Amino acid sequence: MTAKGKAAVLKVWVLAVLVVVGAGFVVAAEEGPIKLGAVLPLADITGAQGSKAMQLAVAEINAAGGLLGRQVELIIIDDESKPEKGAAAIDLLATVHNVDVFIGGMSSGVHLGQLPALKKYEKVTVWIGAASSLVEQAVVGMDWYFHVHPWDYLQGASYVEGWAALQAEYPLIKIEKAFWAYEEGAFGTSSYNGSLVAFSNWENVGESFKSALLGGGDYRSVLRHAQEFDPDLFIWVGYAADALPIMEQAREIGFTPPLFVGSPPGWPADFGGSALANGVCAYGMWAPSIKNVSPVSEHFWDAYVAMFNEEPATYFAPLGYTNVYVVAEAIARAGTLEKEALITALEATSYVSPLGETLTFSPSNLIEHQGFSKQKILQWQNGAQQVLWPFEYATALPAYPFMGK
Amino acid sequence: MRMTRTIPYLLGAAVAATFPLFTGAYLQQVAVSTLIYLTLAVSWDMLLRSGQLGFGTAGFFGLGSYAAVLLVLNVNAHPFLSIAFGGLVAGAVALLVGLAVLRLRGMYFAITTLALASIFAVVLRNFPRLTGGPEGKMLPTCIYAGDTTKIYWLVLAVAVLTIVISEVFERTRIHLALTSIRNDERVAKSSGVNVFRYLVFVFAVTSAIQGIAGGTYAHVFGFVSPEGSFSANFLLLPLAMALLGGIHSTWGPVVGGLVLGALSEYLKLQIPYGHLLVYGAIIVVVTLFLPQGVSRMFKTWVRRSSVTRGVQ
Amino acid sequence: MTLLRTVPQKRVALLLVSLGIVILMMLWKPYALIEGLQRGGLYALIALPMALILGIVGIINLAHGEFMMLGAYFAYWLGVYFGIDPLVAMIPALAAFAILGSMTYFVTIRRALKAPELNQLLLTFGLAMVGMEFANLMWTSQPLKPHLSYVYSSMALGKLRFGTYAFIYTAAAIVLLVLLLLFLRRTRLGRAALAVGQNPRGARLVGIDIQRTYLLIFGLSIALVGAIGAMFLTRHSVFPSAGSPFTMKSFCLIAMAGMGNLPGVVWGGFALGVAEALVLSFRGYGGWADVVFFAVLVAVIMGRSYRRQTA
Repeated sequence: MTAKGKAAVLKVWVLAVLVVVGAGFVVAAEEGPIKLGAVLPLADITGAQGSKAMQLAVAEINAAGGLLGRQVELIIIDDESKPEKGAAAIDLLATVHNVDVFIGGMSSGVHLGQLPALKKYEKVTVWIGAASSLVEQAVVGMDWYFHVHPWDYLQGASYVEGWAALQAEYPLIKIEKAFWAYEEGAFGTSSYNGSLVAFSNWENVGESFKSALLGGGDYRSVLRHAQEFDPDLFIWVGYAADALPIMEQAREIGFTPPLFVGSPPGWPADFGGSALANGVCAYGMWAPSIKNVSPVSEHFWDAYVAMFNEEPATYFAPLGYTNVYVVAEAIARAGTLEKEALITALEATSYVSPLGETLTFSPSNLIEHQGFSKQKILQWQNGAQQVLWPFEYATALPAYPFMGK
Repeated sequence: MRMTRTIPYLLGAAVAATFPLFTGAYLQQVAVSTLIYLTLAVSWDMLLRSGQLGFGTAGFFGLGSYAAVLLVLNVNAHPFLSIAFGGLVAGAVALLVGLAVLRLRGMYFAITTLALASIFAVVLRNFPRLTGGPEGKMLPTCIYAGDTTKIYWLVLAVAVLTIVISEVFERTRIHLALTSIRNDERVAKSSGVNVFRYLVFVFAVTSAIQGIAGGTYAHVFGFVSPEGSFSANFLLLPLAMALLGGIHSTWGPVVGGLVLGALSEYLKLQIPYGHLLVYGAIIVVVTLFLPQGVSRMFKTWVRRSSVTRGVQ
Repeated sequence: MTLLRTVPQKRVALLLVSLGIVILMMLWKPYALIEGLQRGGLYALIALPMALILGIVGIINLAHGEFMMLGAYFAYWLGVYFGIDPLVAMIPALAAFAILGSMTYFVTIRRALKAPELNQLLLTFGLAMVGMEFANLMWTSQPLKPHLSYVYSSMALGKLRFGTYAFIYTAAAIVLLVLLLLFLRRTRLGRAALAVGQNPRGARLVGIDIQRTYLLIFGLSIALVGAIGAMFLTRHSVFPSAGSPFTMKSFCLIAMAGMGNLPGVVWGGFALGVAEALVLSFRGYGGWADVVFFAVLVAVIMGRSYRRQTA
């Protein structure tokens, strides 16, 4: 190619890119469907499956005739786990797509950066992520803000209740001393701090570790300290990447506390297949086995698998599904998209969710509209997560003590 | 010729200044984060012009963020004052650190600045009473209550200030000194350039700019946290922008910043699942086929087309 | 910039000091010593191929950790489909990643070598992103790990009970170091590569094919890091960003050892591993382990620079 020809080709290329970029930014606003704007981290499995579950819910609603005689449109924007991208997504949804309601959410760090944008529009927001109580402090007095996920301290309080109930029901189980191994970032630390307040009647010792997610992965010194403390309950708060290595390293040093609890936001694929998984307790909002006791959960599971040809692996999948349905039912009840009516309708929410519980909104420590407040105590038994507590969703009896000691 | 050369700059300035008049909150928000990254890219390049590869960008950015937020929380300072304070702290720390580490060269300097950035983050994380620990601290109110137009002006002012400083460096004897240090330090020394003093000066100034960028970012989004404020993104993205645009100039990082900022947002909307793959592939392709950077390619293109048109 | 330093007295002194520290640690904090050598071995093992590329081809490979991550996925899927143990999968990984490395070299690195300095940095940054996102699209961010019972084998010595399997990293680091040194010193190819690393122009003058040498070293390093990924998988989960922290760690180790000092990478790995494990052994101070890692790094680099200036 001659220099001239090359220059011409380059020119065309540059112009083409400019045109395409320009076209992408101009998104025509249409009248018609009811618009839900979701922001999620799509590169993470939580956001990826959460967004798919939302699509499933919207597809079901539209197949059943939509809402108020209109179709529902779901617009999902990736926050890339970055606060500035999350904030831009809110602006995009509000000003370009003109959505009626904001939904979605995962990380607290991203959400903190989105709050200035959300406060600007004051649209009805129903958020399923961001458990940090820092977020709660930032949304005080915002009557249009509905928070579905339990705050960190609520989770702690919920487990206090759960262990008390389990001890009362099964006198064999006795907990007086607990050792907490928590990942050193915001997630682990806020869970630990939230729990310390709640578990004030236990003797608690905590130590942080570096999660494998951030380049760590050697837990042996923490496990040894736990072993020296000899707790009745050992709990680690980390990520899915830590789950199997922690079990292996605990076995390596011969650490077998009577209760071995893990509290990651998601478990690795096939954790249950490990010989070390049996008897490990888990904290969570959901387990696949809930489909055995809840018809809504069963329906969700089957529909999700049918639509996407994969199994839901994180509780953000049923949470995303719940997110859409809660908003949809409120719109149907309100009969309008008008803000005050919608808020009132949301306040009257009573949605039987695929997570097991019926979702209602009630005040938490600082805000008016808090959704779930309870977590579940689960246990890995024969390769699957079973629910131990709350008893109304229990799918199995507890195996105690861990490793049959 | 002089006239035609200034036209693109005037045009750019006009577009930048009037941007909020014809755009909405979304594009302004995208512009805000692009401009912050762009500021970091220009400041990173300013140090690179002396031949020193700095990997401390995220560290000084985070330091500035924390300094600004903590000043507001503890003495209720005005946001502008706290942003300046962020720059001051970052600059002062860089000055002190620079006196020690600027004797290092090449990858040794690079890795030491990277290590220092990590040390800043871990130290801040380990003093929860002051800094909020791993969870960080939140500002009671965001600057301008989240009004994107005003925020855009603020961030634009920071970016323009950086560009002006960079141009001053390019047009004064600092440029000669830095270029000579980069090309051959011994020659520079023997021709009377006080190499060490120049390096410390540039390191402190560029770190102060990064601190100001950090303080601004913290005010725009309203919080600091070790994971967020010291994120590797604040090192890697500016670096990619400067390298893609073309290093050793003011306009290379500026062009690279604008291109990558717009590209990443555009790709995200077009390809919700998997846009980062395309983004990475574009970076690879551009590096291979435009080794001089986008801005120089653009210049060559303009020059060539004017030659073919017989203007020159 | 010599790839191998031979200063016998210094080495003896270093050996004596190391031995002293080892004995002291054995008496005071045996677990910190054992676990430090194990984690340090992993650091060193991963850093060695990167040091090779940096020393001879002269580029900082920001995609180093991503190649390791892909190696781990490779081993995982071989395990799922053919029931191969990750340690056995190291052999096919070596072959597959030699091909992947050579292809990467041909398609990308080779074209960027003549480009202005630092362009390779951007190139490998882009490659890292492509690698990570490819993994994310293929296998999601959910971690995967095979179930292997041998990885938690342990032994008891008196009151001590410690894991034995992780010494595989310590041993592998030393074996790889010895093999690389033999290769670089004793074989024609290795000596040629060494010459290219020290002075490419001079090497060309004496008739060494630079391109072929670069291809060989890049392919070899990627093959090694792919196989190391399989070994990594035995004790760690794999997920798209599993490798990236190790790129930084490796780079730190190489800088600490000094450009091209392969034995230094291994000693440095052990030293940092033990220093970290020592900090971790004090309950409640684990959060400072990173600071120790970086403080040791900075101290060594600064110390060497001052010694050179005063010498």
